[in-house]
Amino acid sequence: MKPIEKYIDAMENKDFAGLADLFTKDGILCDYCSNSSSQREYHIYGREAINMFFRNKFGFRQYSILGAEVVNDTQAEFIANFGGYNIMAIATVREVNEDGLIQRLTVRPK
Amino acid sequence: MRVYAITGASSGIGAKTKELLEREGHKVINIDLKGGDICANLATKEGRQLTIDKLHELCPDGLDGMICNAGVSGACGNLSLIVSLNYFGTVEVAKGVYDLLEKKHGSCVVTVSNTISQGAGRMDIVDLLNNIGDEKRVLELVSMLDSSSLSVGNSLYVSTKYALARWVRRISSSWAANGVRINAIAPGNVNTTMTATMSTSAKMALNALPIPTKYGLESLMDPEEIAEVMVFLVSPKSRGVNGNIMFVDGGTDALLNSEKVY
Repeated sequence: MKPIEKYIDAMENKDFAGLADLFTKDGILCDYCSNSSSQREYHIYGREAINMFFRNKFGFRQYSILGAEVVNDTQAEFIANFGGYNIMAIATVREVNEDGLIQRLTVRPK
Repeated sequence: MRVYAITGASSGIGAKTKELLEREGHKVINIDLKGGDICANLATKEGRQLTIDKLHELCPDGLDGMICNAGVSGACGNLSLIVSLNYFGTVEVAKGVYDLLEKKHGSCVVTVSNTISQGAGRMDIVDLLNNIGDEKRVLELVSMLDSSSLSVGNSLYVSTKYALARWVRRISSSWAANGVRINAIAPGNVNTTMTATMSTSAKMALNALPIPTKYGLESLMDPEEIAEVMVFLVSPKSRGVNGNIMFVDGGTDALLNSEKVY
């Protein structure tokens, strides 16, 4: 599976630990969609932070994705749900290291 | 030797703060429902007045610090208690001893919660508390809510703590201009009797609020970690700190709200 497919798989299964493990130790996940839901955008730096952050979001049902579709080698589209607010989003794996771990992934409104 | 009063110091964060202050050689007056130097129910008007009167009697020369720490969690099952103790039990007592703090250019510290930044509070209730401050009316409103719902209790808890934090910010300028500093501490989830006796679902919610300094430990914060900051905030070492909501949560707020720098 490509990193973008693994990302979608982890998000759909609300697997915060599996999601974090897709990233390098200092991997970054930036999500700009939350701005549209009146929250601040998310800039999560580091594997452990990604683990803890999504443990919280999944635990409190504050983030889920629906209807995900991988559109090319590095991108996937889905509806992101922020605690009830839906927005069409596109996730992009921007950098991957030699071991296939994600260095940087962004999620933007589509 | 300085003289401090603290509410809810028979256990948890309050007890540890009392212990640390006494270890430094200060006199500490504990106000609590049971086991206090002043035994009073701060959820009632009578209990608050008794506390204020007793403190005036015990400390005629003034107070160096008032720590308003007593409170109940959102899982206590008593919505009125959450409002009356957490909000009015703090604001009324702090205002009632303001003249004692003024005499010694003292400092007030209020315990809030790091949940105030997580968007779970009801802002209508926060506004009613801060802007109207009519306990009877708020309690009437609250009596119509579902007290068996954990999420309702939690939302009300966050509302009272949010209102407290905002009251601290609002009052801090004028108090400081008269020599009295006031700050709030926003602890993360602390290992106390309150958290130890929570239901399984409440504990699950706790675990979904990760504490970065405890990463991988599945552990809550130690009361001493909060108490050390309490002691700092009521000491002259913090003389430049006023109107501050200090998050003492091992980094949970930074984790969940990294973009909020102010």
